[in-house]
Amino acid sequence: MMDRYSKLQMVGIYFAITIFLIFILLPFFEMFMASLRPLEHLFRSPYQFWSDDFSFQAYRDMWVTVPLLGRYILNSIFIAGVVTGLTMIFVVPAAYAYARLEFPFKNLTLGIFLGVNMFTGAVLLIPLYRVLRTMGLLNTYWSMIVPGVAFLIPTGIWLLRSYLEKIPRELEEAAFVDGASRMYTLRRVVLPLAVPGLIVVGVAVFIGAYAQQFLFAITFNQQRELQPLPAGLFEFIGYQDVTWNQMMAAALVGVLPVMIIFLFLQKYLVAGLTAGAVKE
Amino acid sequence: MATLDLLSISKSFGAAKVLHDISLAINDKEFVVFVGPSGCGKSTLLRIIAGLEEATSGQIMIGGDDVSNAHPVDRGISMVFQSYALYPHLSVYENIAFPLRVQKLSQQDMDTRVQRAADILQLTDKLQLKPGQLSGGQRQRVAIGRSIVRNPKIFLFDEPLSNLDAALRGDMRVELSQLHRSLDATMVYVTHDQVEAMTMADRIVVLNGGRVEQFGTPMELYHHPKTKFVASFIGQPNMNLVPATVTGADAAGLVVELPGGCRMTLPVEASTVAVGDKVEVGMRPEHVHLGKAGLEIDVNVLERLGGVSITYGTAADGTRFCASLPGDARIDEGAPITLGAAPEDCHVFDKSGDVLRRRSAPALVA
Repeated sequence: MMDRYSKLQMVGIYFAITIFLIFILLPFFEMFMASLRPLEHLFRSPYQFWSDDFSFQAYRDMWVTVPLLGRYILNSIFIAGVVTGLTMIFVVPAAYAYARLEFPFKNLTLGIFLGVNMFTGAVLLIPLYRVLRTMGLLNTYWSMIVPGVAFLIPTGIWLLRSYLEKIPRELEEAAFVDGASRMYTLRRVVLPLAVPGLIVVGVAVFIGAYAQQFLFAITFNQQRELQPLPAGLFEFIGYQDVTWNQMMAAALVGVLPVMIIFLFLQKYLVAGLTAGAVKE
Repeated sequence: MATLDLLSISKSFGAAKVLHDISLAINDKEFVVFVGPSGCGKSTLLRIIAGLEEATSGQIMIGGDDVSNAHPVDRGISMVFQSYALYPHLSVYENIAFPLRVQKLSQQDMDTRVQRAADILQLTDKLQLKPGQLSGGQRQRVAIGRSIVRNPKIFLFDEPLSNLDAALRGDMRVELSQLHRSLDATMVYVTHDQVEAMTMADRIVVLNGGRVEQFGTPMELYHHPKTKFVASFIGQPNMNLVPATVTGADAAGLVVELPGGCRMTLPVEASTVAVGDKVEVGMRPEHVHLGKAGLEIDVNVLERLGGVSITYGTAADGTRFCASLPGDARIDEGAPITLGAAPEDCHVFDKSGDVLRRRSAPALVA
C-alpha cells in the first residue's frame, strides 16, 4: 500500500522526473542537434531549431579534420582501463583490511583518505608536476595513469569496504576453522561473494578515471599520440574557426563506450548499491 | 576422538569479565551441552574451545595435549555455526568439500569422503544444488556435513537449531542424537533451549553470568539442582518458588510455614538454616496436585493441552504459581483452588540460592 499514489501525485511525480531529465539530458540533446547541422547553421540568427539540411556529414568529416581522433578515443579507454585495473589491485586488499582487520590508526587513516578526496586534482597540479618530472614520467601514459590511480584509491576503499563489511563474518570464521588461510578465504569466499560490489567499484573508478583524465592530460602530457579524447577535442579548435558540429559529434562518439558499459552494468550498480539493505 | 579439559579458563573483553575461572573435564565420546540464558558466556566459551577467541587465562587440553595456542585445525575440532555459514556461491558438494580442498586432498579421496558424509546426512541427490535452493533443515545438514568430512576429534555446535521452526527442530534433535551415536564422537553443543539440552546431552553445563552453576547429567540437574538458578532454568514450565519461613527442624526434616499458614515437613538436610530464616520452597509444576491442604491459588489462566492442563495463578501474597495438572482438570478460571505437593518432591533453597540437600530423591538413572 506504500506505493499507491493518487492521480494528482502521479502527475506531480512525472512532472518532477521530466524536469530532472530535461536538465540532465538537454546538453546531450543539444550536442546531438549541433552535430547534425552544417557549421554555418550554428551561427544563424535568429536561432532555428529545425532545418532541412540535417545530415551526419560531421560524423564522417571529423575523422579527416582530426586524423588521430580514433587514437584519442582508444587512448581514453586505455588510460581509464589501466587506471581501473591498477586501482582495483590496490583497493581490494586495502578495503578487506579495513573491513576485517584491527590495526592501529585504522579510523584515522580512513579519515585521511576521505580528507584527500576533498582536494581536487587541480590544487595539487604543481606539486604533482614536479613529482612526475623528477620521476621522468612526463609525456608518457604514466603521467595520466599514476595521478589517476592515486586520486581514485580513497573512493574505492570507502566504497568496497562498506560492501565487504556486509559479508557475514561467520563465513570467514567457518573457513578459518576449516584451516583456510586469510588469502585463501579472500580468494575463494570473500571475493566471489563481493563480485557485485567489485563491479560497482570498478565502474565507479572507470567513470572517475574517464572524467578526470582531461586535467592530467593537458598539464602532464605534450605528446599528441598519447592524448585522451577530452584533450584531443581541442584540435577541433582551429586558427580560423571552431568546427563545433564535428566536435560535438566526436564528443558523442567518445562517450559512447562509457554509456554502453553503463547500460550493461546498471542492474549490478543498482543491486550493488542496495545489497544487504534488507533481509532477503 | 578425544577428551576435552578446560583448566580455569577466564575471558575478559576490556573491563568486562565474561568468563570466570571455568574448569570442566569432558569425557571421550560424551555429548555435552552448554546451556544458559543469553549473555551467560556459553558461546564465548565455545569459541575459545574452537580457537576463534583467545582466553585471557587458562588452558585447553584436547586428548591430553595443550592446544591453548593451536590453530583450530591443529586442535582437531570442527564447528557448526548458528547461521550455518554456508558459502552461497558454492554447490553443496563444494561446501562439504571445502575443508578437504584446503587440505589439498586428491579428487578421489575427496569424492569418497564427501559421498560418505552425504550418505549419512541424506544429501546424495542434493550435491549439485546451491545452498539457496535448500530448505532450512537441509542447509543445517550441509553445515554438519562440512564438519564431519574432516574426521575431527571434537565437534562444536553453536546453537545450530535456533534458526529452524519448532517441528523441524524436533526432527533435527533426533537426527543429531543419532549422528552422535553413529560417529561415536565427542560433541560440545551450545543452546539456550533447555529442552534441547535435556533431550540430547549426556551431561549438561549450566552457565550463568560467566560461571558454571552446575555440571551433571540431565536427571541430576532435574532432581538435584544445586542452586535456585539451575532449578528454575531446568524443567518446563519453570519451577515454582514459594517464600517460606523455617519454624523448626526434626528427625523427619525441616518444618516450614508457607504463605497462608500451611505447614510442611520437608525431608532435607537442615543443618545450615535456623528457625526464623527465610527460605524458598521449590515445587515443580508437574509435582503439584489439587489437595485439601496447601497453597490457596486464584486461577488466572488455564491452558488445556489435552494430556495436561497448565494452570497459572497467584497466591494471596502475590506469589505466582504454576501447576501442571493431569487431563482436562475440572477447575474454572477465576476460581480459587488449593494446591499441594508431596514433601519429598519439594526443594528448599536458602537465602543465597543454594539448595538444602534432599534426603529422599529418586534414584538417578545412570
